[in-house]
Amino acid sequence: MAQIALPASRRSTSTVSAKKWLGALPFFLFAILFLIWPSARLMIDAFLDGQGRFTLDNLAQLFQNQTIVSSYLLSIQISAVTAIGGGIFGFFLAYSVTIGGLPKPLRSMLITFSAVASNFAGVPLAFAFVATLGRTGFITAILKNIFGVNIYTAGFNLYSFLGLSLTYMYFQFPLMVLIMAPALDALKKEWREAAENLGATVFQYWWHVALPILMPSILGTMFLLFANSFGAYATAYALTGGSLPLITIQLRAQIQGDVLHNPSLGYAMAMGMIIVMAVSTIGYIWLQSRSERWLK
Amino acid sequence: MGYLTLSKISKQFADAVVVQDFNLSIEKGEFVSFLGPSGCGKTTTLRMVAGFEVPTSGQIILDGADITDKAPNQRNVGMIFQAYALFPNMTVVQNIGFGLRIRKEPEPAIKERVAEMLSLTHLEKHADKYPYQLSGGQQQRVALARALANHPQVLLLDEPLSALDAKIRVSLRSEIRMIQKKLGITAIFVTHDQEEALSISDRIVVMNEGREEQVGTPFEIYNFPKTAFVANFVGTLNTAEAEMVDPVKGIVKMDGVQFESANQVEGQKRGDRVSIAIRPERFSFASEQKKANVVDCKIENITFLGSVVRIQITIGRTKFNMDTFNNPFLELPKIGAVTQVTCSREAVLILDRQ
Ligand SMILES: Nc1ncnc2c1ncn2[C@@H]1O[C@H](COP(=O)(O)OP(=O)(O)OP(=O)(O)O)[C@@H](O)[C@H]1O
Ligand SMILES: [Mg+2]
Repeated sequence: MAQIALPASRRSTSTVSAKKWLGALPFFLFAILFLIWPSARLMIDAFLDGQGRFTLDNLAQLFQNQTIVSSYLLSIQISAVTAIGGGIFGFFLAYSVTIGGLPKPLRSMLITFSAVASNFAGVPLAFAFVATLGRTGFITAILKNIFGVNIYTAGFNLYSFLGLSLTYMYFQFPLMVLIMAPALDALKKEWREAAENLGATVFQYWWHVALPILMPSILGTMFLLFANSFGAYATAYALTGGSLPLITIQLRAQIQGDVLHNPSLGYAMAMGMIIVMAVSTIGYIWLQSRSERWLK
Repeated sequence: MGYLTLSKISKQFADAVVVQDFNLSIEKGEFVSFLGPSGCGKTTTLRMVAGFEVPTSGQIILDGADITDKAPNQRNVGMIFQAYALFPNMTVVQNIGFGLRIRKEPEPAIKERVAEMLSLTHLEKHADKYPYQLSGGQQQRVALARALANHPQVLLLDEPLSALDAKIRVSLRSEIRMIQKKLGITAIFVTHDQEEALSISDRIVVMNEGREEQVGTPFEIYNFPKTAFVANFVGTLNTAEAEMVDPVKGIVKMDGVQFESANQVEGQKRGDRVSIAIRPERFSFASEQKKANVVDCKIENITFLGSVVRIQITIGRTKFNMDTFNNPFLELPKIGAVTQVTCSREAVLILDRQ
């Protein structure tokens, strides 16, 4: 009986797995066409000069050209600031709608808002900030006319590092809320009770149990936020018109610009960006899988 | 006054009274089970002892001290949860040592105590594993070790075995009982599995709708249930409505058939409606020697249950189950046959009508 049944069942499992692969085909097509192929192109082009000959010049420029180095540093700074700032703010928001015990409707409102806001970027976002916090924006006006505070004479400028960071924050913290809310939900009530039962205070529970459990998710999501703002271009360009030389803005100038036109250098810069973003994305995936393993 | 005393405990959530006027006194080193159907308030009562719920009224005294309003982290009471509740970010050793570290015990003392607990629960091999690397049974042993490491005054176990499969359930329950006896620790064990309660406990508290229905040893609870609820909940039972004929001699009549009982209930008069209860294993086929209750019956059905054969019979108009041990030479009557069965006077319980 078993001997007869065996080949048949083996065949059926192989058809099952073939079907499974067939289902995954669109994904692989997508990955090859839009991720692997363009990245590979870019990597190759980064090592070629204008005449198609092999060179390490472009790469060397990344480290020698002061403008490029400082624009990388500026992008890293703004990404780090908004990842940490948005991350902390988003964490506390997520906390207050999950464990913090805010009413249920408020929670679904915040989640819906976050889903929308985390995708709100580019020209509309820049415009929204100009309209509220710009020189003649209505919040600026309210502060000035009603509270007598002129934020612009006090040193604030929307078209500066601080202003752009604030603008980025608007799509950063909602992403944190979206990822942290389920992670906070996954903290079991019994962990807290077990800790208290063993003599721990609420603070000790958070310090020894809850935060270590959440830390991979918190850090991982901050990596994701970092990559998120590192690659942002349209918002910055629309808001500052290029006065803040972020790496994305420099890159566009190299590839499409009239003055700086040097596509080969542009490819090398893009490759550098891909590496930075890949590292932070891998950081996210690694940390996330760590916490998932615990929470299995 | 016992070591742990719950007196007149009540608990109300919003408008639902979940525990009502609950009284219990537990001796030091005693193993007491709370047994009852889902929702009867077992967990709530246990959580009041742990401090996770505050009683609406009543008092909890532990070793002479009133702990009714003490915060959970101010009592020295060990709790074991159904879902293990191990800290996933800590190894077995770190989990067991957690309470000691919180209490700022010196590191060598922690190490020693953790090693002691590891060997007590046979977890030495798993010392450095994380909870996700352990089976359910192993995780629950870690939870036990973690709770015991703190030298708790009382150990509370809330259905600690119900997430495990049958074999491990049985072996772990005897392990828990063995460890409890060895350490002489006072324990309350919540379960809705009557076999578990009967096999593990010094005493059982059968709970129903937030009250203690009967408190007694497993022997008393099984053989002398005081109410129909206890009789029905613990073990399989035949119950039937009957009429009191002679309260002094304990004679009742069911569907015109007379039964004699050795278990009189006080305060019954002739003509009162009563319930009688007879366990299936107390019936046997009537032999030549006349016994007290020999009654006519009809065989309705026969089912093999492994070591036991269950026979459905009708006495008068009422269906009864009768159990007899299986053996290869057993001679069973035919289905539809009319014969006689008997049971002793002691086997007939007369219960208060609810
Ligand atoms: N925090 C609470 N708020 C409101 N009602 C509650 C709360 N906790 C328990 N209850 C209610 O109290 C009743 C008793 O609950 P409890 O958990 O003590 O039952 P149990 O005997 O442990 O049942 P089970 O065997 O299902 O675990 C249930 O009806 C439950 O819905
Ligand atoms: Mg319960």
